[in-house]
Amino acid sequence: MGNETIGVRVAGVSKRYTHRVKGEIYAAREVVLDVRPGEFLTLLGPSGCGKTTTLRIVAGFEMPDAGRVYFGGEDVTAKPANQRNIGFVFQNYALFPHLSIFENVAYGLRVRGADDREIGRAVGDVLALVGLAGYEQQFSAQLSGGEQQRVALARAIVIRPRVLLFDEPLSNLDAKLRIQMRQEIRALQRRLAITTLYVTHDQEEAMAVSDRIAVMNQGSVVQEGGAQDLYHRPASDFVAKFIGRVNSIPGQVASAGAAPAVAALGTTFAVPALPPGLAGGARVQLMVRPEAVEVVAADTAGALPATVVSSTFLGEKAEIELTCQGIALQAIRYNTGRGEVFAEGAKVGVRLPEAALTVLPPAEGSAG
Amino acid sequence: MTPSAAAAAPRAPGAHRDPVVAGTAFVLWALLALFVVYPLVMLLGRVVYDQGQFSLAGLVTILADRHQIRAFWNSLLLATLVGLIGTVVGFIFAFTAARGRLPRWLLGVMDASVLLPLVSPPFTTAIAMIFSFGPRGLITYDLLGLKGVTVYGLTSTMFSEVITYFPIAYLTLRPILAGIDSNIEGMALSLGASRWRVFRTVTLPLSIPGLANAFLLLFAASLADFATPLILAGNQFPVLPTQAFLQITGMFDLRGGAALSFVLLVPALAVFLLQRYWVSRRYYVTVTGKGAGVAPFDSVSPAVRNALLALCALIALSIAYFYVLLLYASLVMALGANHAFTLQHYRVIFTEGVKAIRDTLVIAGFAMPLGGLYGILLGYLVTKKQFLGRRSMELVSMVNYALPGTIVGIAYLIAFNDPPIELTGTALIIVACYIFRYGPTGIRATVALLSQIDKSLEEASQGLGAGSGTTFRRITLPLILPAFFAGLGVVFIRSMTAISATIFLVSVSWTLVTVKILENITELSLGPAAAFSVLVCVIVFIVIAIIGRLLRVFRAPGAPSVTSMLGG
Repeated sequence: MGNETIGVRVAGVSKRYTHRVKGEIYAAREVVLDVRPGEFLTLLGPSGCGKTTTLRIVAGFEMPDAGRVYFGGEDVTAKPANQRNIGFVFQNYALFPHLSIFENVAYGLRVRGADDREIGRAVGDVLALVGLAGYEQQFSAQLSGGEQQRVALARAIVIRPRVLLFDEPLSNLDAKLRIQMRQEIRALQRRLAITTLYVTHDQEEAMAVSDRIAVMNQGSVVQEGGAQDLYHRPASDFVAKFIGRVNSIPGQVASAGAAPAVAALGTTFAVPALPPGLAGGARVQLMVRPEAVEVVAADTAGALPATVVSSTFLGEKAEIELTCQGIALQAIRYNTGRGEVFAEGAKVGVRLPEAALTVLPPAEGSAG
Repeated sequence: MTPSAAAAAPRAPGAHRDPVVAGTAFVLWALLALFVVYPLVMLLGRVVYDQGQFSLAGLVTILADRHQIRAFWNSLLLATLVGLIGTVVGFIFAFTAARGRLPRWLLGVMDASVLLPLVSPPFTTAIAMIFSFGPRGLITYDLLGLKGVTVYGLTSTMFSEVITYFPIAYLTLRPILAGIDSNIEGMALSLGASRWRVFRTVTLPLSIPGLANAFLLLFAASLADFATPLILAGNQFPVLPTQAFLQITGMFDLRGGAALSFVLLVPALAVFLLQRYWVSRRYYVTVTGKGAGVAPFDSVSPAVRNALLALCALIALSIAYFYVLLLYASLVMALGANHAFTLQHYRVIFTEGVKAIRDTLVIAGFAMPLGGLYGILLGYLVTKKQFLGRRSMELVSMVNYALPGTIVGIAYLIAFNDPPIELTGTALIIVACYIFRYGPTGIRATVALLSQIDKSLEEASQGLGAGSGTTFRRITLPLILPAFFAGLGVVFIRSMTAISATIFLVSVSWTLVTVKILENITELSLGPAAAFSVLVCVIVFIVIAIIGRLLRVFRAPGAPSVTSMLGG
């Protein structure tokens, strides 16, 4: 068991199930992933997208029907989980109810034949690391959800795994604790520099913890990148709508040349780029995030006329629903302290900054 | 996560083609074939073959005999009545316990009063009935001064069986009532329904599958009951199990007895299949083992609560009365005639009866660990491993448990009386009978516990580097140990108290306390019979206490208790 930091490569992994109603379905379809040594990569997607199946295949709990899994240069596809030297944190923590916290954490070390002195030291250290010093003799039933989560984490890292794997570890915690725990997980991973694969369906959580995010849908990875890339430059309708909120405005390519432009909302917008292979006149959608939509006075130069449908005051911000040329738009205005109020029915102006515009092919069917 | 993960049940790598699994499965199949399938095939053979010829003459003779036909209908009538009344009584008990907001000690009293009939030797209530309502009964003769009353017949048999078996209904219904989310009832109440309406439109409909289940369990128990009607039914009310017994022991007609037990097989099998494949799948309430917490409102009015409590107290008191009477009868010269204190009956059972006591303890002592081991092995194998005939193994293992003891006893008698496998007269035949008849409670407990243990626990162990052997030894085994102990307890208790199957298997060399009790009753030595019964109760309670202690030491989440398993 080498303790050097290694990468994980998932090469074209597929997994089929026979579903009672739907017949043969793919839980994972030719999934390709490359987790760099020491990197924190998150698999993000809606339930049923194949992210947990992929994670379990990396762990060795399930065998892929096709494809290989590499730890560093080593092909581990045929190895069972207990020979892969992984740390796995389960959604339900899976603490052994009949063993004390100490014995839970010591389990992996005992399996590896460590001597008692070494075990005592390592368990003490790791429990201190997760802030649970003094809990050694308790049982999992006596612990709160957050504490159980920390024990599960300690149990996974005490064996100095080559790869750390998380399966929606925070979904059983309340909102406040979730934010605290995800920061702790992130800090710990940085400190230990263990290559980490993390599964969640919560986009905010994914953005908070990850170096890189791989978005999955229907068994495949649809886009990979940093949080900023995915948010600002979504490659598909699905990614744009799954991560954050977005306005989708129908339009047509007005100019496909060196200065690309899209006609929409009765005017023409210069855009940063067009998707490849689109000629003039092609139907597209113009994506813009609500916080990028500028709501200005009706007489502002260059603003499109719009009407306020509703305005919801949320403290630090207000969410405004508008219609512009018959298209519904969402806008967010952060509270500047000046106390502007947009009454329902008020005539306002709307500006869409060029840098905030993303052009995508039209949505496929009505899916997404 | 993946919607089909549960449906497809992906196999853990290396789970199949394990030589240890294959070997164990082979041995278990061989044992099941020998001790479950083979005797039943021999029984069937005896019914439909006559001197090497296929013949239904034996069966036809039975079916043409009006006395036997009456026994068949009587059996069904008795079972239906016991099922109905026992379910109602059990429901009243369970409802009071789950909704009555009783103090803890009162719940303890209720549990204790239903425990007594469950772990008592057979004949106990029957003897007490004769003491109370017989020709010289304490109540009929001494208290009411009635003369010439007869205690024998449908009414007393039914009453005695209801007292004996209603705890099964209680144990079935209580977790269901406790599992109904009290918020659902609170919701109905908040919508303006009266308490009675809430009960009628919410609580009762949600308990219907449980009620049906309880009815079927009671029906099967009454149908199979041999001891009570043997003592109380009398000549005027023949039922099938006793008729089969009398046919064999009284008229030495093994074929006739086999045919009668075969007639009994039909309704017994129907109830078993109905209960297994229909009712048990219709539960609305998932019983998680944890109570649904305190009801957010008083689901019963104080007046109704008091009425329910009074009813339960009445039933509990009559049970207590029966047992006090039994104890008293064991300590006086002759109940009803001479009430002078004596230890003579105990002297009798510890001199003349000591062989039966020793034999019973030896047999129970062997059956207990073997039955417990059998239960945990088979339960683990059928839930966690993949091998050929996994599902059918579980079904076959339940057969001897589900069939009336009379059938199993006669089948063993026929199968093991002659070569190639001659076991009659040995202790082995009785031990085997107990293992395969009562071991299945351990199987069911193991399966239930294993299905509550999340798959991720074993995966967590595997992920931490443990092989399948280490994972079983350090994670799975400790977690299913409670099922093992509970299985041990049930096999031991039943080995001490059973009679219906083993009465056909005892011999000069090996006899049983329960058979001795029967002999004493037929010889009208009721004092020693009462003393034997008290002794069995005491031994059983000591064993329950020990097992209960072991279960507390090796506690696991959602572990079954011995008593909750006695309910079938």
